[in-house]
Amino acid sequence: MRTCIVWIAGCLVVPLTTTLAMANGWNMPVGVTDVSREIHSLHMTIFWICVVIGVLVFGVMFYSLFRFRHSKGVKASHFHEHTLVEVIWTAIPLLILVGMAVPATATLKKMYDPADADLDVMIIGQQWRWRYEYLGEDVAFTSNLGTPRETVRGEGERGEHYLREVDEPLVLPVDRKVRFLMTSDDVIHSWWVPDLAVKQDTIPGFVNENWVRINEPGVYRGQCAELCGIDHGFMPIVVHAMEEEAFDEWLAERKEAAAQEASGVDREWGLEELMARGEESYNAVCASCHQPDGGGNAPAFPALAGNQALMEERERHVETVINGVSGAAMPAFRNTLSPVEIAAVITYERNAWGNETGDVIQPSDIAERLAD
Amino acid sequence: MWSVIKSVLAAFFGVQKDARRREDFEKGRPVAFVAVGILMGLALVGVVALVAVAAAR
Repeated sequence: MRTCIVWIAGCLVVPLTTTLAMANGWNMPVGVTDVSREIHSLHMTIFWICVVIGVLVFGVMFYSLFRFRHSKGVKASHFHEHTLVEVIWTAIPLLILVGMAVPATATLKKMYDPADADLDVMIIGQQWRWRYEYLGEDVAFTSNLGTPRETVRGEGERGEHYLREVDEPLVLPVDRKVRFLMTSDDVIHSWWVPDLAVKQDTIPGFVNENWVRINEPGVYRGQCAELCGIDHGFMPIVVHAMEEEAFDEWLAERKEAAAQEASGVDREWGLEELMARGEESYNAVCASCHQPDGGGNAPAFPALAGNQALMEERERHVETVINGVSGAAMPAFRNTLSPVEIAAVITYERNAWGNETGDVIQPSDIAERLAD
Repeated sequence: MWSVIKSVLAAFFGVQKDARRREDFEKGRPVAFVAVGILMGLALVGVVALVAVAAAR
């Protein structure tokens, strides 16, 4: 009897310690918000409840199998119906489930309370990038994959944050309640940052709400968690949490830059500067489909380099970039890019890769069209 | 009537004595079980809703 118990305990210790060892690194992160800590502690509580149940159930089972084995001449007892036992094995799981539901509901209540936020950020999913708009602050930008396309294709060294880096991270303050308003321009995406305990679908035509109050400054990475098309794995999320003063400084800088960008439509631009600006925007926004060399990716994404229709029909080209192509993969960029960027991209596409039309599209013309 | 309520409660819980089950099938009227079952189902929903409202406070 005693050796038997020791034997069973020994069998249980091995998988348990393995589980714990694996938990270090494989377990969900504790995170950096009060809510994420609560979720983690709920997760661990329920995990241990499951462990205890598992140990008891399998312990009794293995003990009975061993102790009352057939080779020792034990006879099975045949009986039907035992109301007391049935009541016990129904009531215990009921109590355990209710016991888990009570703290879980309390946490859910907190998660779904975005009221009294200090800052509102609109998060918009797009194929295949995230757009962030600081509501009421006139600051908005698009966050693209930061890993160069060549690295993705296998040319060049892969860095530490391969496919988990962006050109412009979402910047948030610590110790302030930030409300997220989440939607999508095309298909369903999901904004997921494990350290913030936020995993929320962004759905076209819907605005979902969520919120965070980050406790520690730092860089937190995440991914799109809803299969959204060919580049689903290439739209990572990076959140840069800053001290409050640093955040205010950053926001003021971005506001000024936005004002400067807006004033860009007031002046005449030359071909050279539009080309330089256009190349930058093209590589960030257009190249994932139309490719950095303008070669496209047939049949969904037509080639732009050497495209006769594009070169001949300037008007249609401008219209396509601004309003997209309905029913096709080409999105409208009227709300995503600034007038300067749209003018620069079109100018770039009409003059790069041997498309030598010599056309210069002025940001002021684009601004006028957008105003209509 | 009381025995019908007890049987419906036992059904909600999922455990019933075999002797009582036989009795119900021999003496009880099906309509009574269906009616009491529907009423108590509604009552259960009401209780759950009350608890939910109280919890949301």
